Formats: sequence, structure tokens, C-alpha cells
Amino acid sequence: MLVSWNWLKQYVPLTVSVEEFERRLTLAGLNHEETTQQGSDFAIDLEVTSNRPDCLGHIGIAREAAVVFNTPLALIDPQPVESSVAVSELSKVTLNCPALCYRYTARVIRGVKIQSSPPWMLDRLATIGIAAINNIVDITNYVLLECGQPLHAFDFQRLDGREIFVREARQGEKFEAINHKSYELSPGMCVIADRTRPVALGGVMGGADTEVGNATTDVLIEAAEFDPLSIRTTARKLVLHSDSSYRFERGLDPNGLDWASRRCCELILELAGGQLAAGAIDVGRTPPAREPIILRLSQLRRILGIDIDVQEVLRILTALGNKIVRTMPTNEAVEAIPPSWRRDLTREIDLVEEVARIHGYDAIPEDVSVPMSISSRTDRDRVLGKVRESLVAAGIDEAMTISVVDEGLSKAFSPWTDAPPITASTPILRGADQLRRSLVPSLLQTRRVNEAIGNLRIELFEIARIYLPQASGLPDEPLMLAIASGGDYLATKGIVEVMVERLNAAATVEAFDFEHSLLTPGRASELRLGGKRLGFVGEVAACGQKLFELRSTTTIAELQLSMLEEIAELIPRSRELSPYPSVARDLNLVVDERIRWADLLDTVQSAAGSDLERVEYRDTYRDPQRLGAAKKSQLFSVILRKTGGTLTSAEADVVRDKVVAACAAAHGAALRV
Amino acid sequence: MSLANFITELDQIAAAGKSAFDRAADAAALEAARVEFLGAKSGKLKAAQKGLGAVSGPEKPAAGKRFNEVKAILEAALTAAGVRLATTTSESSESLDVTLPGRRPIIGHIHPITQTIEELKEIMGRLGFTVADGPEIEDEWHNFEALNIPASHPARDPLENFYLATASAGRNGPMLLRSQTSTVQIRVMERQPPPVRVISLGRVYRPDDADATHYPMFHQIEGLLVDRHVTMADLKSVLRLFAASFLGHDVHIRFRPSFFPFTEPSVEVDMAWETVGGKTRYVEMGGAGMVDPNVLRAVGYDPEEVSGFAFGLGVERVCARRHGIADIREFYKNDVRFLQQF
Repeated sequence: MLVSWNWLKQYVPLTVSVEEFERRLTLAGLNHEETTQQGSDFAIDLEVTSNRPDCLGHIGIAREAAVVFNTPLALIDPQPVESSVAVSELSKVTLNCPALCYRYTARVIRGVKIQSSPPWMLDRLATIGIAAINNIVDITNYVLLECGQPLHAFDFQRLDGREIFVREARQGEKFEAINHKSYELSPGMCVIADRTRPVALGGVMGGADTEVGNATTDVLIEAAEFDPLSIRTTARKLVLHSDSSYRFERGLDPNGLDWASRRCCELILELAGGQLAAGAIDVGRTPPAREPIILRLSQLRRILGIDIDVQEVLRILTALGNKIVRTMPTNEAVEAIPPSWRRDLTREIDLVEEVARIHGYDAIPEDVSVPMSISSRTDRDRVLGKVRESLVAAGIDEAMTISVVDEGLSKAFSPWTDAPPITASTPILRGADQLRRSLVPSLLQTRRVNEAIGNLRIELFEIARIYLPQASGLPDEPLMLAIASGGDYLATKGIVEVMVERLNAAATVEAFDFEHSLLTPGRASELRLGGKRLGFVGEVAACGQKLFELRSTTTIAELQLSMLEEIAELIPRSRELSPYPSVARDLNLVVDERIRWADLLDTVQSAAGSDLERVEYRDTYRDPQRLGAAKKSQLFSVILRKTGGTLTSAEADVVRDKVVAACAAAHGAALRV
Repeated sequence: MSLANFITELDQIAAAGKSAFDRAADAAALEAARVEFLGAKSGKLKAAQKGLGAVSGPEKPAAGKRFNEVKAILEAALTAAGVRLATTTSESSESLDVTLPGRRPIIGHIHPITQTIEELKEIMGRLGFTVADGPEIEDEWHNFEALNIPASHPARDPLENFYLATASAGRNGPMLLRSQTSTVQIRVMERQPPPVRVISLGRVYRPDDADATHYPMFHQIEGLLVDRHVTMADLKSVLRLFAASFLGHDVHIRFRPSFFPFTEPSVEVDMAWETVGGKTRYVEMGGAGMVDPNVLRAVGYDPEEVSGFAFGLGVERVCARRHGIADIREFYKNDVRFLQQF
């Protein structure tokens, strides 16, 4: 809300500087945005929260200032001189939609002279950025900005039948507004019509055809009250927002209509002449009576933590326009009726806030002792901490990407569900409207962005939720970890293995063949822990690289964090360690190409017996000349150690021979010498 | 030979030998020194041993004791020299340019938003607040109704929210991406009776065009404390402790009246950041207030029995201010050069 400093001072005698005014009003709830000098005036921009439409006019701001600076308010009571002709003889208003328009009032002035507004009015309007049109239109704008009640002036002679019908719009009805744009109306919208057509969109904008112009002689002044929700819906639907709709949306003082109408007519008589018909047409509801509110003074201490003297409470409430009905004996409570312009005050807690903000929040101490209470880090956070630790140690940077993708990205990789993605009704960013079912596409996109900048080493991980639709109720939102790396399959799998080992030394990651159109056949797997799916790892295939416009080879992985939480041993138990030295035996077994390491390892582990500490894979070696076609040699070491004594060289040889024999029997392995 | 002369000779051998071992620049020099002092045939110590026979009988034990001590000193010095030479690089014959860069391990970086979240969580944890979690896709009950945002409220406008097109309307109305983390507070209070002391944080979504200070997705952290006798003074004090811990020095907290549907009274929270030339410069922290009685009622609490406060702040803003990040879109672009600064 832009406020003219000079205009404001017409209602409240302010002796403070502009800066002090801004500071004090900010601390009372009207947040100061900025001030610009306009000639001899200042335009002060104050932020009005949506619960305070009473401050969308200079008088409302003046009221607040009067309370804050404890000065009287100089309000006027306009009493325009009426002629002997009654308004009911000139016009008529029929209200057909009381749900959309609560109340409609009209006054008629005949014989006005259209010209420019006087300099004092033009100055004030210019200060707050309102364009001058002609004296009548300027006056309706002026009064709107004075008291916050929107008004409209119709060219009375152009109203067909000189009467007004307030009704719901018909489907497809056309209307040309004063901005000279045409709108197609629909039910739920409130139109002001004459006998044949809409002449205004109620509460939003007047019509072009009945606009006051140079030829106008007679005017009908509308001051009405519309339903806030329907005004908002109408303005949004038509993308037609005005100073009027802005105020009606927020709800206005139901008792403010008549003052605004009289004030408008008084100014018209003064600046444009004419004869005001006697009385006003007034249809619709009578403003509802306000219910009294009881404020228990004990609630001030209970909510604010401070005591406020009853005299101060009474002063504040009265200054804000509340009518004190009574003060309970021994001052334990106050009963007050809020003013009509404060529709936000309906409950005791609302009055607590009013008293607090005017009394000043600086009176509330900031050094009371809050009782202690236990809290501990959640298991999830502990697991995530360890996961991040491992990934960072592996040289991977954490990324954070938006939760939505476009259709192409969404389709590219969705290993967790075949159900179509959840879609937002409006795109969230650059056309992306599908809630992601995997983090992988987002990370690959991020990789491309980095390649385009010329970054060479791009190692990224992200921890975020994906969104899986459910048959009923809210979607499932499992937390995922995804990696996109420039390393190959084994490098990325190794990172996963180390991370799992850090969470649980005994857990083993098992890999199973996995085929996906995005990934290179034979270089991707599904990973499992204890038979349950942990996730996927695989190298992006050439077509995948093309899809994501990637220049360099990439490996992706995506894991369910719930699985990591399940296996995590957050408090590892110490094991007793053998004090005796270990003995290693290196092996080089030639097997068929089809024999898998995991199967060979199983055989080695069961054959080696209880003295086996671990098996360390070294390398795979292929040489058709020396080994034969479709053969490979597996190099690995078995590390042996006894708990009860030193393992001798002879004992180690026995174990090695057992291992070789078992592998020969199970996999046709031959020891390469 | 007198005992004194014998001991003097031993001490000289000990000093000279030790110094020779310590000075040896390589294995060959050390071997030469070993032969010179500890050589089994013609070493200096071997030669001195002959003098032991010349020491008179009663003084023999003392002389023998000293001889053994010196032998031990020299052997220890030899061993130490051997270790010293063994640990110098195999390239010791080549010269090393000590100003060459070291071989650096590559270490990843935690995203600055995560770092800020972890820090805020940690501070609130010290103040007894436990982390609570809730879904990002919410129903109207948790995102609006229970938070005292009635159907007629502007915040409900479809244009102000990301409603979901495909999600069928559930028991609690149509679904949308949550526009604030207060939804989690409702879920926590529905689950457990008071007292409650939690923080919730996570992604929230609002239809803003992306620019330097806006993004349609951002992170919010929100605290909630509900118990008997909770007041605004408690709120102010907790926020002061929180700000002081975060900034590392004491700060003052200022409340400005504001409006949120789920709190009454509602305030904007400022921190007195610094005083320049007698003028205090305030920095906005976030929004806060006393939990609205309607919210307490919505979750089955009795507003006459308990009261509470809630506060919330945007993580991106805090993080950007702290690190001097001018454009919050950087957080989601993930240029690795950007990430590697933190």
C-alpha cells in the first residue's frame, strides 16, 4: 500500500519524522518497504498483510498511526447537500444474487461538469502512482485510496432503463471492460447489468460503454459489498486484477459503504457541480452485528509471558476502535466489541495479539530459561551421515536437484515402478511436471550441464525422495541414493560395497544380472542385501549417452536407503582379534569364461575352513594362446590366520590344496603354475 | 691401567662412535663406521676390551659394567642410524624438489544446503528438539485445514500451489506438493500427546518463477514446542539461543507483527546483526508465533491446557547469506566448481 505522507497528515497530526513513522509502524505490523520523494510529498510503501484489509486506505493507516503515536484521529463526516428529487424516482436496483453481492447502494448526481481534477488531488494521486482520467473517475479513485472502499461511477444516461440488476453472469456472456479488452463470462461471476447487458463486472471493473467521459452529465455512484471468494475466483479466472478486486478479495468494512458513497458525492458536488438526488438506494443485507469478545487478562501472561496493566489493555483496545462493554470485577477480564472494519478480530487470542503488538513486542524478554529436554539424532540421520562420509571419502560431490522431470527424462529410467508418474497440474520448472520415479535422470542431466561448462571430473551423488503412486492414499516416497560417476562398473560397485561395509562389516552385496535399455548389456546389475533388493548399478549405454547428450562414459547407481537403514549396525561390537600372524597364499586358477567369481568365491570360502580370514580378488587374465579360448585365469589370495596359535607354512599349504581341489571339482578349475 | 683411565677411554669411544653413526650419510658409510667401532676383530671397542684385563681385581665389576653400558649405547646408535637410512626414500640418490605439489587424495564435498541443514539440526538438537519427518506430497487437511487455512483463504488458490493432476482425491481432499513444512507438525501432534518438541525440515514447493532469489522448490526448517506454560518469552529466548549458537556470538531478537494462519500472535523475527555508527542493522530470520488455538484443536489438543510456539525459516536464504551466494539457482545447477567451494 502506497501512502502519501501529506495526505496521511490530513487525518492524524504527526510531528515525527518520516523515518520514525516508518520504524514505529513497522514495529506495529505495517512493514515498511521503501520511501520515495515525490516533489514536496513522500510515497511510503507499507506492506499490508492479508488479514488487514482495513489498512488498504489512508484512513486505515492513519488509525494505526494514531494508536501508535497516541494522538487523536481527525476524521470527517461528509454530508453532501441533497436536492428535493428522491433517488427512488430516478432509478432502481434489483439484487438477484445475494450470495455474490451482499449489499448494493447507489446515489445519483445529475448535471455534473466533466473536467480535470484540481492540482491538490492530482498531486496526491500522482504521489501514489494513480493516473488522472477526469474529475469524476479521479474522485472515485481518491475515495477508494482514502477509505479502502471501492466505488464505481456509471454514466447514468447510458444505463438502459436507468436501472441496475445485480445478477450472476450467464455462460458465454461477453463484456468489454474499461481497459477495452473483451471478456467471456461464466456463472459464479457477479455482473452489474442494466436492462439489456452487463455494464460492470461486480467488484472487479466497470464497462467501457457506460464509462464516465467528456459527454457525461449524470452519474450513478455504486458502493457495494461483494463476496470475497467469488471476486478472487473471477479475477483469477479472467486474469483481471484491479485495486477494487484486490480489496474485495480481502473483505471490507461492511459499515464503510455509506461513508464512501457520501464522501464521493460531496467531492463531486465540490469539484464537478450537479444536483444530488435525495437518499440512497440500498439493497441487500444489513451489516451483521459484531459479537463481543471476552479477554481474560490471565491469558496475556499465559501466551505472552508478561503482565500488561489493565489500564494499558483498555487504552489499547479503545484506541483500536473496540467498544469496551464492561470490565469484570477485580479486573480479571475485559469484554469488548471489535470495530466493524476489523473483521479479523473474532476470538480472545486475536485481542491478545492486538494488545501485544501495540504494547510492543520489545517488552517480551529474550532471556527466560526454557526447560531442558532430551533429544537424540535419529537413526536415519546417523545412517545418512555415514553414507555421506563414505561417498565424500570416495571423492564424490553431493548434488541437489529438483524433484520434477519432464516426460522424456521420466521415461528414460524408472526401475522402481511401472506405474505412470504423478503429474502436477501445472509445470513446476521449465515444463517439468512429472514427479520423479528415479533420481538417475536428474543426475545425468546435471552431468551434461557440467560437461557443457568444460568440467572434466564430474562425480556426483544425490540423496532425495522419489514418488511412487499407490492405489489409494498418499504416494510412497522412499528415500534414494543415486550416483553418477565417470568410473566404470566395478569402480562404482566398489564404492557401494565399501559404503555397505562401513554400515555393517558382515553385510555382503550380491550382484545379479540386470537388463535395462539405458544401460550397456552385461555391464549392469541388480544389487541385493540378504536376498532383498538394494538397487542397481550399471554403465550407461551408447544410446543412453545420446539421449542425455553425454560425451563421456558414465556409470550410474541407485539404491534404496531403507535397505541401508535396515542393515546398518550403528553401534558396531568389537571382536576379539587373534594375536598370531596371518599367512597368505596366492592362487591362479584357470576356469571357463562362464564361471562367475561369486560362485568360485563360495567354493573357496567353504573349502578353506575355519582358518580363512578373507579372500582378496586380484585380477582376471585372458590369453587365448596360453590359456585357450573361452578361458580365463582368476588371480586371488587367501589370507589365513589361526586364533589359537601360529599357522604354519605346512598348514597353509594344506588349506591351499583343499581350495584348489574343491574348485577343480566344482568348476573344473586348474591351478596355473 | 686405572679404572678412571679405562672409563675415560670407553667414554671417548662411545662419543666418537655415536657421532660417526649419526653422521653416516648412507649404508656404506654406516658399515664403515660399524667396522671401525664395533668390528669383531679390530673395532675400537674390541681393542678397549683388552684394557679390562689390566684393571685391578676389586674394580673389575665396575669396569665390566661400564664396558657393557657403552657397548649397548653404541649398538643402539647403530640400530637407530640403520632405521634412519632405511626410511629415506629409495630415490635418495636422486634429488627431490621439495616444492613439488604433494600427491593429493581427491575428497568429495557435501552440498552447502545439506551442510546448513545439518548445522541447524545440530543446534536445535542441543536445545532439545528432535527431528521429525513427513511426506512432501500432502492432502488438503494437513497442508491447509488443520493449519487453520479455510477453503476461502487466498493461500488455497490453485494458482498458489502445485496440485497434482493424476492423484485421485483421497479421504482428506485432493493432493498437492506441500507448501510448508508445518504439515509435519500436524502429523506429529496427531501421533502423540503433548509435550512436543520437534523440528521438521525438507523440500517445499511454491509456484514462483526461478530467479536469483526464488525457486519453485526450496527447503524449510520449522520448530515446534507445545507444552503447558509455553509463552512468547520462551519463543524469543529459544530463537536468541539458536541465533547466538549459529552466529557464534550473542545477538538480540526483534519481533515484528505479522500474519500467518497457523499462529496467533504471528511475528517476523529479526536478528540484531551488527551495530554500525550507533544504528543497529537487523537481518530477517524467518516467521514465528504462538500456535493458533484452532491448530491445537484440529489435532485434538486442548488450547486451555497447553500452548506452544512455532517458527520457520528458509534454508536457502540462510545458506546464501552465510556463504555470500548471490543466486540461489546455483544450489540446483550443481556446477562441480560451485560445490567444491564448500
